[in-house]
Amino acid sequence: MKVKLFWLLCCLAIFPAGVYAQNTITGKVTDADNQPLPGTNILVQGTNRYAVTDFDGNFSIEASPGEVLEVTYVGFKDRQVTVGDETTLNIVLQEDTSELDEVVVVGYGTQKKADLTGSISSIEAEDIVRQPALTATQAIQGKVPGINIINSDQPGATPTVIIRGLGTALSGRDPLYIVDGMPVDNIKTISPSDILKVDVLKDASSASIYGLRAANGVVIVTTKQGKKGKARFSFDSFYGAKSILNPVKMANPDQYINYFNEGAAAIGGYTLQQQQLYNTDWYNELAQVGSINNNTFAVSGGSDHIDYYFSYNHYEEEGVIEDHKYRRGTIKNNNVYKLFDDKLKLTQNLNISFTNENPKPLGAFNNAYRQSPLVPVRYENGRWGQAFVNQTTGIVTYQAGPGESVGRLYSHGNPMADVFFQNEKIHTTTLQGGFTAEFSITDYLKATSRFGATKYFFDKRVFNPTRERWIASDPTRTYEEFEESRSNATNEETGVIPTSWAYNSLYIEDKETFRWNWDGFLTFDKTFDKHHLNVVLGGSKEKTNVGKRLYGKAYEVPEKEQYWSIQHASGLFDNVSENVYYTPRTLMSYFARTQYNFDNKYYITATIRRDGSSVFRTGENFWENFPSFGLGWTVSNEDFLKDSKSINFLKIRGGWGRLGNQNVPLNVNQIHTSTGSAGQNYVLGPNQELMFGASVASPVKDLTWEIVEEWGVGLDFNLLDYRLSGSVDYYDKTTKNMILLVQPLLDSQFAEDFYDHGAEVSNKGMEFTLEWKDNISEDWSYTIGGNFSFNKNMVENVKPAYDGMLGGSLSNGRITKRLEEGQPLGAWWMWETEGVWQNQGEIDSNPSIEGAAPGHLRYKDQNEDGVIDDRDKKFFGSYIPKYNYGVHLGLNYKNIDFSVDGFGVGGNKVYNGLKNTRTDNENITADTYNTRWTGEGSTNVHPGADRDIEASDYYLENGAFFRINNITLGYTLPDFSRYVSKLRFYFTAQNPFMFTDYSGFTPEIIGGEGGNPYRTAGVELSAYPNTKTFIFGINLEL
Amino acid sequence: MKSLTIKKIYIFLLPIILFYGCSEDFLDVESRERIEAEDSDEVFEPDHFIISSYGMLTDWTYAFSYLGVTEIISDNADKGSTPTSTGTDKHFLDGLTHTATTPSIRAVWEHWYKSIGRASYAIEYTEEYGLSDENYKNRLIAEAKFLRALHYFWLVRAFGDVPLQHVDLLNRAPKEEVYDFIEQDLSDAIAALPNKSEYASGDLGRATKGAAQALLAKVYLYKEQWEDALNYANMVMTSGEYSLEPNYEDIWRKYSENGVESIFEVQARGEQIAHGVQQYSQTQAPRGTGGWGWGFNIPSEDLLNAFNAEGDTIRRDATIIFRGETLWDGREVSGSVENAMYNEKAYSSANLGDSDGDKNVRILRLAEVLLIHAEAANELGNASTALSSLNQVRSRVNLPEVTTTDQGQLRQLIWKERRLELAFEHDRWFDLIRTGQAGNVMRTLGKPFEDGKHELFPVPNDQINQTPEMTQNPGW
Repeated sequence: MKVKLFWLLCCLAIFPAGVYAQNTITGKVTDADNQPLPGTNILVQGTNRYAVTDFDGNFSIEASPGEVLEVTYVGFKDRQVTVGDETTLNIVLQEDTSELDEVVVVGYGTQKKADLTGSISSIEAEDIVRQPALTATQAIQGKVPGINIINSDQPGATPTVIIRGLGTALSGRDPLYIVDGMPVDNIKTISPSDILKVDVLKDASSASIYGLRAANGVVIVTTKQGKKGKARFSFDSFYGAKSILNPVKMANPDQYINYFNEGAAAIGGYTLQQQQLYNTDWYNELAQVGSINNNTFAVSGGSDHIDYYFSYNHYEEEGVIEDHKYRRGTIKNNNVYKLFDDKLKLTQNLNISFTNENPKPLGAFNNAYRQSPLVPVRYENGRWGQAFVNQTTGIVTYQAGPGESVGRLYSHGNPMADVFFQNEKIHTTTLQGGFTAEFSITDYLKATSRFGATKYFFDKRVFNPTRERWIASDPTRTYEEFEESRSNATNEETGVIPTSWAYNSLYIEDKETFRWNWDGFLTFDKTFDKHHLNVVLGGSKEKTNVGKRLYGKAYEVPEKEQYWSIQHASGLFDNVSENVYYTPRTLMSYFARTQYNFDNKYYITATIRRDGSSVFRTGENFWENFPSFGLGWTVSNEDFLKDSKSINFLKIRGGWGRLGNQNVPLNVNQIHTSTGSAGQNYVLGPNQELMFGASVASPVKDLTWEIVEEWGVGLDFNLLDYRLSGSVDYYDKTTKNMILLVQPLLDSQFAEDFYDHGAEVSNKGMEFTLEWKDNISEDWSYTIGGNFSFNKNMVENVKPAYDGMLGGSLSNGRITKRLEEGQPLGAWWMWETEGVWQNQGEIDSNPSIEGAAPGHLRYKDQNEDGVIDDRDKKFFGSYIPKYNYGVHLGLNYKNIDFSVDGFGVGGNKVYNGLKNTRTDNENITADTYNTRWTGEGSTNVHPGADRDIEASDYYLENGAFFRINNITLGYTLPDFSRYVSKLRFYFTAQNPFMFTDYSGFTPEIIGGEGGNPYRTAGVELSAYPNTKTFIFGINLEL
Repeated sequence: MKSLTIKKIYIFLLPIILFYGCSEDFLDVESRERIEAEDSDEVFEPDHFIISSYGMLTDWTYAFSYLGVTEIISDNADKGSTPTSTGTDKHFLDGLTHTATTPSIRAVWEHWYKSIGRASYAIEYTEEYGLSDENYKNRLIAEAKFLRALHYFWLVRAFGDVPLQHVDLLNRAPKEEVYDFIEQDLSDAIAALPNKSEYASGDLGRATKGAAQALLAKVYLYKEQWEDALNYANMVMTSGEYSLEPNYEDIWRKYSENGVESIFEVQARGEQIAHGVQQYSQTQAPRGTGGWGWGFNIPSEDLLNAFNAEGDTIRRDATIIFRGETLWDGREVSGSVENAMYNEKAYSSANLGDSDGDKNVRILRLAEVLLIHAEAANELGNASTALSSLNQVRSRVNLPEVTTTDQGQLRQLIWKERRLELAFEHDRWFDLIRTGQAGNVMRTLGKPFEDGKHELFPVPNDQINQTPEMTQNPGW
């Protein structure tokens, strides 16, 4: 091909075609990053003279001054250059940023964005890497409407991603992640710098091609590949320092003492003296300035037959707790082989990731909150500080004179000691890769076969110095005492020592898993006149959860770390070992999709996927069909708008689809037996022989996948010469058969909670995106954009008596959430406060809870039955934001780039569990101190020093926040060396500001079990604080 | 050349693409984490579920909550223990200040329903299991029906209208319907259950025909269907299966378990492997220095006076452990135990304060049937029959014969006899309610009994939280 062109070029060059003196102009065509663009077409306007750039982007053409060169290259904006007197001409092409030509990955194929009938959001590489993060999903926060990402700044944390509202209570909530066509468990193993783009299939009409696993949406990640041309080397590096964004000011010693003494006055007990020995700011002790460091090296390029991309990334983060580290190394290699005249394309993807983590106890944040400022981190003699108080003298110390009694202020240990003694290491290795063969049978029919696999290794080791912890928990304890207690606890007959008296323990856990998938499909793509038809037909097999877990626990290994293995454990204790082989899961699927459009005006898409899952193999039905369809009308291609200058593009689209969620909890073990004295058994006969019985504790319920149905409509537009673009979407999504954990009615047959399909969840919402882009001049360009999405979540059609699933435990017997028809998922449910009890008389003459006392919060008797009980609890909305929004501003002036990103949520409430669950003599915030009730008439809002720990709306706070999550200022050096194509320095402030009314550390609280709405999602108990990070970085390209 | 190669590749690729051989075998994954049912050696026979239905009677509920709602609440017993030990809510029950949130009430409500659930499951399982021995099958079902009826009876007399579990969990059935269901179950049970003597020795302790008849007699007593009560009581009395234990105090001895007088009792074993009514003896045993238990549910002064007024020393001494006394087995009860009196009927000589004791809790015995017989006969105007039965009970404990034929007087005497004979056998409160004496008796003792309210326990608040459509009893 190239040879032919060359000949043509030569021939053309021979015939002079103009009357003007023609010069031979030589030059180079590059992109904005100064990378050569081989194969660019250059045509002298109105002539037959043309040239094609070579491998290095060089060209040579005959042209006269005044003639115009038309320079075209696929994916770049056409450029016209008028020839002057020069004989060398370097031409820079701008990438065609028109979103309409953008290609979107839709699952088993791609589609032009302009042709979509579904709702798919795309995020490009530059937007991903702008926000330095471990995982790409973190970087997406706030950039896409309809996707709510709850982040944690804990090193190595995985953010939760909720697409178009939460549709399940207990089943899997994560979207399906597809990387280069292969399903993976998560994308934490992929360096964001290797990602070319992320496409999110938000609506059911798009996602149904992934059927049984697509109920939570599909996130499709495409990694980078080499481009034809010279080898490009890039080196990116940044370093940052991080600290707590929103610290909470705790009470100082004087405040603590006053509060303590007020509490003692109310309930009796000793008081504290004003003069104390220590003044500790626990958060100051616990939190440090953490760091983040990231280095990426990549090389890529390509020839006619092979494109290659190779990268190495090293990411290292130290959290705000000392030694809390997360390190990850990734190696990425994507090669494309084009064989047989490009008829056969083989793509090989490989991603290897190693992580190395030293977790620290997050409970330390909770614990530090509760520590009295009068307790030292360490005493003068070097022993760990503990909450001992001399109750006789009222001095917080463990020391006591004769006859003086020493007690504890509270039961919590020293959080610094906890951090110090926590010795845990986690290593993981993930090998993920695949191989794709695409074969063009004809120019309109292509066959694709793809195999992908992931192997995962996990290795964890925890060393627990039991004896040291025992000693540390009381400064008067000695090793001799430990030995004495140990020998007292030893069984005299058997010599068995309880394991709690071992010097140390060692815990080892090894896991490995494997998964693979194999897809094959045929793609038919042809245009007949004005009809365009694209059909995909194929099948897929997948096996996951192949693997095992090995767990071992041993006691008394030598103290030196090099000997920490079960092999070296003393023989005094029985080692514990467990081994589980997981039950694999298989999935078998058939799928078909037809996309048809007439004249780029009228679009129709129909998809069907049929999935069979081994998970439900024992049930009656384990196959399900997931159909969908989509319709589109590109109004702007109609004659009446075709020539409009102001309306460049306008499309209306809509669709319906059905999705499944197979990651559901299953009922196990419904029949109970016991070998001892239990209520299953009974004694009979003259000798009262023990008879063994069996009982059914929960009903046998065959569960199946959850089904989601969704319909939606949308509008995409580009106006005013493509400067203003945006889209609007409306959706109505329903989970038809949500699984609940049903608490059996007291009067029912069953005693234990069981899972059953029992409710619907509705998510209805709107999404808006708007972006304005303009180039003011050659030097000045700017972008300003934003997105807003709104979602209304509601539990509907709950089966009779299936309401009432409780959750949001505060770990002190109090719960904060309840499932009920007409409320959102994870709805808050608690007493409503109506002031503070001012005196005993008020309590005596009004309904109150047991133990009510002046200064306690007063709860409203909602049903006015004179008793305060569960029936007086009220719903208060949900922790899930009703709306979230993002804003972006980008400015480019010559070589300077500047951008600001912001993100916010609203309509949600978060629970300040730290404040609520204070018991005994734990510390309080300065704010709690300053606003407290101090006696009759002082305040009717805030409780006093003596208060209860019931859950109430007093602790439920507005969770709305707006955070500037990124400010970046970059400077690209002008050309200074022919070896360096780009050198850019930048400074980024990540999360520098947050605006919120919330009084705790962070309103972004993922909670237990990765965001289970009926766990501690939205409850701040041990949440990792938000951090702010200041980063300096460099991008170098050769 | 080129095209040839392409064809070769085409031939090579196509099978791969079309590999999806549509075999569903791919979805047949072997379970590795859990043993599949067919590989499990656990086989559940119908009797396993019958056994666990009986097993419900050994639950902790009967050792604590049940004491509260049957005895401590009544004039026979006080909370006991130390003044500050409330036993969670026993002080509320003792003071008649209990509410719908009182945990003991919730506990018995829930436990009785779970017991009914187990019995119903056992019935279903037995019916569908395919036992070839029809008699055995019917007997098992009848045992479960007896247990189901027993628990419904306990529910209906405590709460009035209650949900019928197989009908509607959200709404209460009128108590008449509940009684109808109990009668149906008991009639079925009577038809299929063997007599006590017809059981194999190893089955001793299972529900018998006599037990079902006795319970039905008691049900009719509560329904004031005197003819029926009389008839069923008579059937038990004339069955030849039962006679009175000659010595009253022997009834609660280990050696008289399932004895001549026993009609139905909860089986308990103190030897290893021990399995008794969990902590039943422990919670009621003497507390404090020299004691061995928690000291709850103690005889009241009023009960002691009632025994003394009657000159009923035999039953008094068999019912009450006095501080400082030497028990029948020679054990000395220290003079420094916390309370002056304790419940002797809960005393386990061999197992003392063990959590699993050998104390068989007597639920139905012949003396009660005689008193039902007497009461029914008296109500029917047949004083001589009434006197005959009543005096059988009295003569065993050396009390003079009652001779009055005045229906009203005799009624009072029979009621009094029930109190003294059956003290601490978990019936007193319901007798007080049934006979309409509760208001006067309790108010005399200074307890705030409200007529029209305290006759029934409140439906537990937690139940109403779950099923808000369920109605509450009047006054609660």
